[in-house]
Amino acid sequence: MFVYSDPDVYELELERVFPHTWLFLAHASELSGPGSFVVRDMGEQSVIVGRGDDDVVRVFLNSCRHRGMKLACEDFGQVDMWRCQYHGFTYGSKGDFMGTLLGAPFERQAYPQGLDRKALSLIEARVETYQGLIFATWDKKIAPLSDFLGDVRWYLDLLFGRAEMEVVGVPQKWVVPSGWKLPADNFTSDAYHTATAHSFMARLNLTKGVDFGRDGYHVAPDNGHGLGIGTHSDDESYFPPELQEEYRSRLSEEQYELLSHLKNLHGNVFPHMSFLQPNFIDIDGKKVSGLMLRVWQPIGPDKLQVWSWHLIEKNGPDWWKKAAKAAYVQTFGSSGMFDQDDTENWEAQTRNSNTALARDEEIMLHYGMGLGMEPLTEFPGPGHVFDGKFSEAAGRKYWRTWLDLVLKEPEK
Amino acid sequence: MTRSAIQVDLETRLEISDFLVQEAEYLDDRQYEEWLTIFAPDIHYTAPIRVHRKSPASDIVDDIGHFDDDFASLTMRVKRLRTDVAWAEDPPSHTRRLITNIRIRLTDIADELDVRSNLLMFRSRGDRGSYDLIAGERQDRFRRIGQEWKIARRRAILDQSSLGTKNLGVFL
Ligand SMILES: [Fe+2]
Repeated sequence: MFVYSDPDVYELELERVFPHTWLFLAHASELSGPGSFVVRDMGEQSVIVGRGDDDVVRVFLNSCRHRGMKLACEDFGQVDMWRCQYHGFTYGSKGDFMGTLLGAPFERQAYPQGLDRKALSLIEARVETYQGLIFATWDKKIAPLSDFLGDVRWYLDLLFGRAEMEVVGVPQKWVVPSGWKLPADNFTSDAYHTATAHSFMARLNLTKGVDFGRDGYHVAPDNGHGLGIGTHSDDESYFPPELQEEYRSRLSEEQYELLSHLKNLHGNVFPHMSFLQPNFIDIDGKKVSGLMLRVWQPIGPDKLQVWSWHLIEKNGPDWWKKAAKAAYVQTFGSSGMFDQDDTENWEAQTRNSNTALARDEEIMLHYGMGLGMEPLTEFPGPGHVFDGKFSEAAGRKYWRTWLDLVLKEPEK
Repeated sequence: MTRSAIQVDLETRLEISDFLVQEAEYLDDRQYEEWLTIFAPDIHYTAPIRVHRKSPASDIVDDIGHFDDDFASLTMRVKRLRTDVAWAEDPPSHTRRLITNIRIRLTDIADELDVRSNLLMFRSRGDRGSYDLIAGERQDRFRRIGQEWKIARRRAILDQSSLGTKNLGVFL
């Protein structure tokens, strides 16, 4: 249990997990044009995600090459060049140290022997994108993003590729006193908790019993990702009729068929990007659900910063945009009626985890749900797919992937 | 402040002030059903997101927020709090709302006032006495309906770009 929040484990994670995996940073729609940028974190390192004047998205360590001062000191913005506010070292939107007049002030007097411009370029991460989701890594050797995502791509298409999607406003951010892996584990493979943690749904007659947590499929793709798909058997899709044509044009027939019966979908891309199409609810006679994207940003062994985005179909009708946003804010997000209960649990688990090593005998927890279950053979989507959402198969793979990274000595 | 800047009479001022103090009591004492009665049926209750931006860019984003509620959803939140499975607020937080710096301005609608006030909420949870402070400005649209004031619009501007409380299971 101690691994949820142990300080030594956390040090290992900062050294071995975050620098050696793909990390989700931003959605392409957050970078509107050349020069636009957002500031994000990789592990605990601040990075700039910027669209260059050549329209290419790059990720730089948010650190001037002169004295390590932050270059971007705001959440997001638009600039022609990066000028450090400490000594004025200046960089172009491609991370290049700029020419004589702009690179460093009084350059000829201060550096009569000249400067090695190449060596002063910003430190750049590898960047790859899938369905508008921008990922980066410091690891020059790991497999491409498409290999890393693997089978989970088919399911990400349902949420982020079904239409042209865009982020609404900016992410909500708030701090939760929880180890960062607890919510990731929850989104990876915990449909089971909904019956208890979110039982107000049934209590207020918003759902019939636990069906929204049980009916559907549990998916355990490789590389530590995981998801659960809730389905319904109604004839009509719960998604707006106005968007069906766009969905059909972007998805395969099998994907479109599944989307047409989708009631909810939760999941996590290793290590800490979660996604959720919350269970549809009826508002004014219409079915509504507000898509959510999350990062469980670590800010300490037992503390995390939640980043929570809402995305919507750019070409969606106004009623859908308005209702989906309200549904997202009311059910998830900082004030969300579901989120509240989850944060309470993760905090209390973390506190117990912090004291778990005080005992002579280690405290082991139960991760056995769905052991021995055979995956379906007929399901159209890839990965190990199990009938019914009650399984921790993906959770077991998540922790195995995590453990492999934590135990791997970095090559010097 | 010059005299002419005072836009409403003392009686109105007292009514508004008493109203906000009464609201704080409803919330701190968890009289949520009574609290709902302070709103007009068309209430829109929002809390925009604050961001960290260089001047002169706005540091308030209204496109999405921490709340985006109408009367029906506020009622739903209250109903949820009254179930025995509202884990995040049961046992409830100890809260104390301090409402100060009330500014009242006339609007171009005769029976409506623009009321701004400062909110400082102390919120303590759990067995160790730890607490969060939630600070912000409320921008309320007061509407006189018959003999009563109602709030027809609330925009609560919180003073953190990353909230320091683990959830907004409490009302602003
Ligand atoms: Fe949950």
